[in-house]
Amino acid sequence: MINELIYVYCIAVNPPGLIDELKARGLKSIEIGQFNVLIKNVPEIEFSEENLKQNIADLRWLEANAREHINVIGMIMGYTSVIPFKFGTIFKTLESLEKFISVYSGSLLENFEFIKGREEWAVKIYCDRKALSKHIDELSETAAALEKQIMASSPGKAFLLQRKKADLIENELDRICKERGQSYFSELAILSEANSLNNLLPKEVSGRDDTMILNASFLVNSDKVSHVKDIFIKLGSREVNSSFHIEITGPWPPFSFISINEKTQ
Amino acid sequence: MNENVIDRSRDITILEVLDRVLNKGVILTGDIVISVADIDLIYLGVKLMLSSVETMEKLKSGRH
Repeated sequence: MINELIYVYCIAVNPPGLIDELKARGLKSIEIGQFNVLIKNVPEIEFSEENLKQNIADLRWLEANAREHINVIGMIMGYTSVIPFKFGTIFKTLESLEKFISVYSGSLLENFEFIKGREEWAVKIYCDRKALSKHIDELSETAAALEKQIMASSPGKAFLLQRKKADLIENELDRICKERGQSYFSELAILSEANSLNNLLPKEVSGRDDTMILNASFLVNSDKVSHVKDIFIKLGSREVNSSFHIEITGPWPPFSFISINEKTQ
Repeated sequence: MNENVIDRSRDITILEVLDRVLNKGVILTGDIVISVADIDLIYLGVKLMLSSVETMEKLKSGRH
C-alpha cells in the first residue's frame, strides 16, 4: 500500500508462529531468508520521517509506542532468541527490508550465535551521598585523620578545618562511589560473557534523589543467572550501611549486545 | 515460555524502557548509513534527532 511503511521490531529465528495477541495488534512475522522478521505496517501519517519527528516530541505518544516496542519484543523473546531493533527503525518497502536482511545476513547469524543461551541483565547502582557522608570517618582514613585534628584544635582553627573537611568529604565521596561502582562492575564482568557500560543518568532523568554510580548491562549464560544473582545479593549485603541502592533487572532483550556489520566480500 | 522482565513487571519505568529502546538494539548509523545508502531506510533511529536524555528530561517535566 502506497501510504504504509514497515516498522521493524525484531528478527527471530524459527518463532513458533505468531501468538494471537500479536496478530490482533496487527503484527506480522515475515520470512526473509532464514530469518523471521517481526513487522507492522504503519501509516505514513504517523511514521514518516517528518511526522515521526513531531510525534516523538509528544511524550505520551513516545511512551505508548516505546512501551509497545519493548512489549512486542518481550513477547517474542519468551519463545525464541531475538535480535531487537532500536525504536523507530522503519523501511519504506519490503524490497528494502529484504535487501537489508540479505546484506547483513552473515552478521545477523553471528549475532544469533553470540546471544544463544545467554541473557541480558541490567544493573543500576545509586548512592545516597548524604547518607554515605555520615559514615565518612569509617570509610576514609583521610577524613578520620582530619576529624581527629579538628577535635584537637582551637575553635578558630577547627572552624577552618571543618571547611576543609567539607571539601574533602565531597572528593572522598566521589572516590568511594567510583571505587564501589568499579568493584561491582568488575565482579559482575568476571561472571558474564560480555558487558556494556552505559551513560550515568543524571538525577533530573532518573527522577531519584540519590546519584547513579553505575549503569551497566551484562550478558550472562542462562545457566549461570541464578549464581550471578546470588553473588550480587552477597555483594550488596556486605555494604555496611544503606547508602547504596542496587537494582538488577532482566532478562532484557539483548539490546546492548547486538552489533551489526555489513558482510565483507 | 520463559518469563522475562517485560512479562513479569508491567510497571517497568519509562526511564528503563527509553534507556534501552532509544539507545540500543540494531542501530543503523554513521558509516553503515553511507555504505547502504541505496537502501531507502527513511529513518535510522531517534537518536539522530533527539538524545534520549533530552527526551527523558522533557518526559519528566511533562509529568509535573
